[in-house]
Amino acid sequence: MDIIAAYGTVFIVLAIIFGLYMTWGIGANDLANAMGTSVGAGAVTIRQAICIAIIFEFAGAVLAGGHVTSTIRKGIIDPTAIVSSPEILVYGMLASLLAAAFWLMIASWKGWPVSTTHSIVGALIGFAIVGIGPDAVKWGKVGSVVASWLVSPAVGGTISFLLVISTRKLIFDTDNPLQNAKRYAPFYVFLVGFIISLVTLFKGLTHLNIDLSVGQSFGVAFLFGLLTAAIGWYFIRKIKADRDADRDFHFASVEKVFAPMMLFTACAMAFAHGSNDVANGIGPLAAVFSIVSSGGEVMQKSELPVWILLLGGGGIVLGLITLGYRVMLTVGRKITELTPSRGFCAELAAATTVVLASRTGLPVSTTHILVGSVLGVGLARGIGALDLRVVFNIIVSWLVTLPAGALMAMLFFFTLKGIFS
Amino acid sequence: MDIKSTTPFSGLFRTSPFKPIQRHMRLVFSCICFIPPLLDALYRKDTEQLKEFGNEIIKLESEADEIKHIFRLNMPNTLLLPVDREDLLRLISDQDQLADIAEEIAKLLLYRDMEVPEVLKKLIDELLEGTMEISASAKDMIEQLDELLQVGFKGREQKKVEEMIAGVRKKEHNIDGIMHRTRRALYENESHLDPVSVIFWYQLIDRLGSISDQAENVADRLLLFLSK
Repeated sequence: MDIIAAYGTVFIVLAIIFGLYMTWGIGANDLANAMGTSVGAGAVTIRQAICIAIIFEFAGAVLAGGHVTSTIRKGIIDPTAIVSSPEILVYGMLASLLAAAFWLMIASWKGWPVSTTHSIVGALIGFAIVGIGPDAVKWGKVGSVVASWLVSPAVGGTISFLLVISTRKLIFDTDNPLQNAKRYAPFYVFLVGFIISLVTLFKGLTHLNIDLSVGQSFGVAFLFGLLTAAIGWYFIRKIKADRDADRDFHFASVEKVFAPMMLFTACAMAFAHGSNDVANGIGPLAAVFSIVSSGGEVMQKSELPVWILLLGGGGIVLGLITLGYRVMLTVGRKITELTPSRGFCAELAAATTVVLASRTGLPVSTTHILVGSVLGVGLARGIGALDLRVVFNIIVSWLVTLPAGALMAMLFFFTLKGIFS
Repeated sequence: MDIKSTTPFSGLFRTSPFKPIQRHMRLVFSCICFIPPLLDALYRKDTEQLKEFGNEIIKLESEADEIKHIFRLNMPNTLLLPVDREDLLRLISDQDQLADIAEEIAKLLLYRDMEVPEVLKKLIDELLEGTMEISASAKDMIEQLDELLQVGFKGREQKKVEEMIAGVRKKEHNIDGIMHRTRRALYENESHLDPVSVIFWYQLIDRLGSISDQAENVADRLLLFLSK
């Protein structure tokens, strides 16, 4: 208890610094993939992408980021064994943050494909094993998190597969594709607004003291969907057939209808990313703050303060505007193969899956889900060529990141313990 | 600090294999387009132009070869493709054969000064016209690959390409008829012609005919994409 009282402010400052560093890294790196698709398809400029990211990243973090944060904060480690020495948990959370951030830095420097989600989960497990004992890890919860890493890309892939098939049935394989595109486009845009807002609203805003009934949630989500559909209609209503472009590629005009629609999926992706990935940086920070502010209460019964969510959103945006926009340009340039119609399907599928996972409190990897969604488009015979070596790399990165994060967390844990006690 | 993308997302995307296939086919088609002017130069006994057109064909053929080469280098077996990888590789070699035949014709006319028998001129013109038509249809068919990809090789677009394939078949059949008449005419005039020349004229007619056979092969290969 004395340690908490003596160094409380130091711990919180350290946690804020490490947490900001983590979210900065997430913004500099991870977000680029989420939004690069829209940039690559030419649907949004880099400047627009940054503006969208700032607004929706914050919205996602504040409105829907609490569930995953709570999993990272208190879902993976069971601290009942160390009720009498809360400083252990503080060291552990700081060490986990530092380990994940450090591992992310090494990976960025080497260009390895790692996920921040996997780094932080690995680090938490590593600390709990040596700091408290193997029994302190909630293995059941860890099991469901790991299962979600396998299931979520498959879910994303299935949704995007079905979406691609539906666009073919309703739009491309018809006598007048352009007319049908303009007819059904508002419906697809409606889906973006409706699904994302429904998942977020459905018993999900209690931390903001907003408690909607099931009917109210559906009603508000429906209105939100209509609003996005109306905005979508406004953008596409003036699109006319471009005869020159159509001569070269018959569906050129139809793709033009999908381009502004990717604006909405870009917003949805930024929102989804904010709702899930912000937790990787601020989950441990929230834990440290809760322990210190309650004077050593490890069970963390207090609510998650909104300023922490805002801080996390801010870190991500900072990462994006300092470095991330460049990564986004690189990613966008590489994925021009994804035409707006396929990009729309992949992004909508990925955003839906991520928001669903966020609502369930499962920390997933946005990038891996996006990879799964794009593979779904590929399986629907919708993309020229996808390199499956990427899937192999992802599996390798899982196998490497979990132990690496764990080992580094152990190292940092003993270092911090040595410094403060 | 230089941040590389640590995420595998962009590595997922490879250039569509259909783009180089189409570029290759356009080059092959321009090769074949030089055959009528080449023979015209032969009719006119304009050796300068004959050389110029012949060398142009040889140049285009090697450009097509280059595309084929790069295409093969970029086809690792880890790719997820909407069509069979083997079929794609065979399609580009079938297309390449077309350019090879055009090159053989050009080389034959470059190393041997040929005398054109009057009786053959009209028939060869007819044969050339048919060859150009069938090559253009084969090229149009390949140009449909983008659209086929967009609709997943199904539905209306599939029917359209199936009809184009049937069209190529029919043209090949017609050309077989012209081939027969041309050979027959050559046979009937064998006694008035130099025997060595006759051998080479048979060769030239055969090669012109094999362009349409090869165009049909390209069409059949494309049919496999539709039936996957």
